[in-house]
Amino acid sequence: MANGAYRIVILGGGTAGWMAAAGLVRLLPAADYDITLIESDAIGTVGVGEATLPHIKAFNDMLGLDEAAFMRATMASFKLGIEFVGWGRAGERYIHPFGTFGERWAGADFQHHWTRARLAGSDRRSLQDYSFAVAACRAGGFEHPGEDPKSIRSTFSYAYHFDAGLYAQYLREWATARGVRRLEGKVIDVARDTESGDVACVTLESGAAIAGDLFVDCSGFRSLLLGGTLGVAWHDWSEWLPCDRALALPSAGTAPLLPYTRATAQRGGWMWRIPLQHRTGNGHVFASAFCSEDEACATLLAGIDGEAQGEPRLLRFQAGRRARGWAGNVAAIGLSSGFLEPLESTSIFLIQAAVTDLAALMPRRGERVDARLRDEFNRLFELHYDRTRDFLVLHYAANARQGEPLWDHVRHMALPDSLLHKIELFRESAIAPDYALGLFSRDSWLAVLEGQGVVPHANNALAERLPLSKLQRRLDDLADRIAVNAADMTPHAEFIASYCAAAGVTLPGAAASAA
Amino acid sequence: MRVAILGHDAPLWLAAATLRRALGPAGVQVAAVALPDRGAPGDVWRALPGIEAFHNQIGVEEAALLRASRGAFSLGQNIVDASGANAEPLLLAYGGIGTGLDGEDFFPHWVRARHEGLGAGLDDFSLTASAARSGRLFLPDAESERYGRADYGYHLPATDYARSLKTIAKQLGVEAIEARAVEAERGAEGVAALRLDDGTRVEATLFVDATRDGLLLRGAMDETFEPWAAPGDHMLTARAPRFAAVPLYSETRATADGWTALYPTLTHVHVEHVWSGRAGGAEAAAAAASGLALEEICVRPVTTGATAQSWAANVVGIGEAAVAFDRLHGFALHAVQLGLVHLIACFPGRGAMTARRAEYNRLMAMHIARVRDFEAAHLTLQRHAGPFWDAARATPLSSEAGHRIALFRARGEIAPHEGESLPPDAWRALLIGLGIMPRGWRPSVDRLPPATATAHFRKMLGFVREAVQSQPTHDAVLARIVQRG
Repeated sequence: MANGAYRIVILGGGTAGWMAAAGLVRLLPAADYDITLIESDAIGTVGVGEATLPHIKAFNDMLGLDEAAFMRATMASFKLGIEFVGWGRAGERYIHPFGTFGERWAGADFQHHWTRARLAGSDRRSLQDYSFAVAACRAGGFEHPGEDPKSIRSTFSYAYHFDAGLYAQYLREWATARGVRRLEGKVIDVARDTESGDVACVTLESGAAIAGDLFVDCSGFRSLLLGGTLGVAWHDWSEWLPCDRALALPSAGTAPLLPYTRATAQRGGWMWRIPLQHRTGNGHVFASAFCSEDEACATLLAGIDGEAQGEPRLLRFQAGRRARGWAGNVAAIGLSSGFLEPLESTSIFLIQAAVTDLAALMPRRGERVDARLRDEFNRLFELHYDRTRDFLVLHYAANARQGEPLWDHVRHMALPDSLLHKIELFRESAIAPDYALGLFSRDSWLAVLEGQGVVPHANNALAERLPLSKLQRRLDDLADRIAVNAADMTPHAEFIASYCAAAGVTLPGAAASAA
Repeated sequence: MRVAILGHDAPLWLAAATLRRALGPAGVQVAAVALPDRGAPGDVWRALPGIEAFHNQIGVEEAALLRASRGAFSLGQNIVDASGANAEPLLLAYGGIGTGLDGEDFFPHWVRARHEGLGAGLDDFSLTASAARSGRLFLPDAESERYGRADYGYHLPATDYARSLKTIAKQLGVEAIEARAVEAERGAEGVAALRLDDGTRVEATLFVDATRDGLLLRGAMDETFEPWAAPGDHMLTARAPRFAAVPLYSETRATADGWTALYPTLTHVHVEHVWSGRAGGAEAAAAAASGLALEEICVRPVTTGATAQSWAANVVGIGEAAVAFDRLHGFALHAVQLGLVHLIACFPGRGAMTARRAEYNRLMAMHIARVRDFEAAHLTLQRHAGPFWDAARATPLSSEAGHRIALFRARGEIAPHEGESLPPDAWRALLIGLGIMPRGWRPSVDRLPPATATAHFRKMLGFVREAVQSQPTHDAVLARIVQRG
């Protein structure tokens, strides 16, 4: 530990705590920073987000993790998207793929061509048929994206399903090997500087007082320092996201090993299904105002497709975020800063964004917290949460489940203006949201807008520069390229078996020869 | 579908040619209703590098354009102090600055190195800034692209540029209609038709207002123009004989009572002089500041500001009809481009245009605000002496601009925003050039040993020097263009 180094104290050792520790020890110069993480084996972690977004790969690459080793250690499988079942009319399903829809022709984004061909009665395919990632999901295959930008096999990216607890452990070993000090213990007291109000030190059960210059609050829902000590207000978003409970229950894996997450709408909420190497993660997110715990439990048990492992575990939450993510000398990362249900696997992304922003805006050795840097962190924090919220709310607002109280309620609720405009714009013109900062990309918005039944009434005139017959030939050719290429992908389980299977694990559906 | 564009000068013909080229093949008819030219022989456009994409779209060939419009290349803008304040010259060159180090941006490494004694300025790492200083036009190749971006723009004499664009617009199938005066006929949904002085009636689904005063948007549609507080209410333009060697950048001289910009072109120096207050003595002041024999002098009032909405009912204001930027940075043509890019993206088709109009207004408001932030940052932070510049320092800053400057002072970071049309390096050059040296830098930069960074910097400076020396002089390039004609 360097003398006079800037002392960072991370409180909590779940996914958020260890991602923060690993990211900070990687990005900050070792000579100038002293990083301590306090965690207690007695406090369970929520283990949020067993499913991730493609951005996680950039985080792992930044750390320099070996993909196959990390996947073996975390029982990970590949994820090419999320399948939404029953969010429209009964039986309807669509995939939000991690990839593009079609190609840009004649200066116009693909959805304008698709809309035009559809309105002209020439094309009957869904937008789904123009995504290679969707076709790969349907084929149950996986391969790394191709390098040739002209090939359809380069038009997707991927994320992982993993055991978040194991990921935290993996990062713990990685970070402690690089100088992060781990302290075991529960915080029983927080001392503040009388003048500045900053947190000065935390006291552990053992009596040890841990002083710091900056505290990173990764204490989960308790928000020990940001919400507790500093009293930063909570913005409640349950008017738009009424689900406030989840029951989680793992089950034995079933073949085939799907390369995507599934989110199935239910009467009182929705169920997740996350296939890992050694088991399937399941859970039922529900709104207690519309659905009892007993009903949710029965729905969950009826909805899982492998043998249940143990008893359902109940989590309580409220959608929302803190007014600020960083106050005084406390920056909160993870559940201590806000919560959005795992519908689009955004929890780990929000952690990752906060870690990289904090690393860039971190005080330097010898400095105090600069309000200007903190303001920037908070501006980005709000932007990330608010944009993600709009995207989640879209799934509820544009549902077609008539006659079910929860779904009728969310279909008629008043929407944030920012979301209402996006929906109306797409319906009127096929223009999809396309912004530079934060989640989600235009292709993601397209997938969910079309998937939830928001249909464009017109397209940009640029699309009409192509003669209709030529356009239809291009569409047919594209759909054909996608189908042919997806068909010869390696089955997901086989790919994992040869690339990153954990020792001693029997993968559902993997060919015996590949094991 | 038919769109009618009302206007004059280059904005009218650029809008007409661009819309016709983009949407003609989709069956969109474009009528350009041309009012008498409002330009003076001394008027000149500063065209930013982004104009090249527009010109390529509508089939403008560079050499032919420069010959026909008597334009010249430009690598940026140099603002020098002649107010007695001894402020350092501010060179705002196009293109990028430096090459990333160790997987990180160049800039924070440079900030750190300056704190640790590096002598080389930010400009020294810019291919275009260095080329501008040595009178050479930087033409990018694969090697220089690996180093960083090198861009160029043009200075385009307004009258000849408009004539060139008009020819192209007509070739592309724009219906050109001349009018001495026009009245708008209101309909249920905005403007129904234009009634020309000769009795002709021009109907259209959509009307584009490319007039300088917003005849349709501010006039017929009653959209309020909200002026921005900033000095400069009059402008003089003039022409002078060309310099022996044509410089590769414009020079703006800040005097106590205003500023005088010299825009070199193929055949002349175009002069723009802006001040506040009465017109008396302006000619003498402009002549004194430029040191040139001025001809074709024209004086007129100028305002800066924007309409609350750029698109009202079925009338879209393009350029000055909707937004008049400060003359200082010459963003007027940039404003026309921003409007056209977003108009094409939001162009109405079947059915309602309500959401598209809202989207266009949302996008334009963001883009206008960010460009205005750049101007306001300059006006408030400059250090020239005199009443004009004292008033400029009181220009209100948006909260975004205030935060951006504050964060830059603290950390050297450019806070990212949506709707940016000026690159981060333009902001860095502006703020560093105005004497704002960030107090710190992102800590990750400190992972690189100082000696390693120094070696990188030495290599970069060597590359820039050699790369610039191998470039042709502006005069050589212009001579080739003239000979080929």
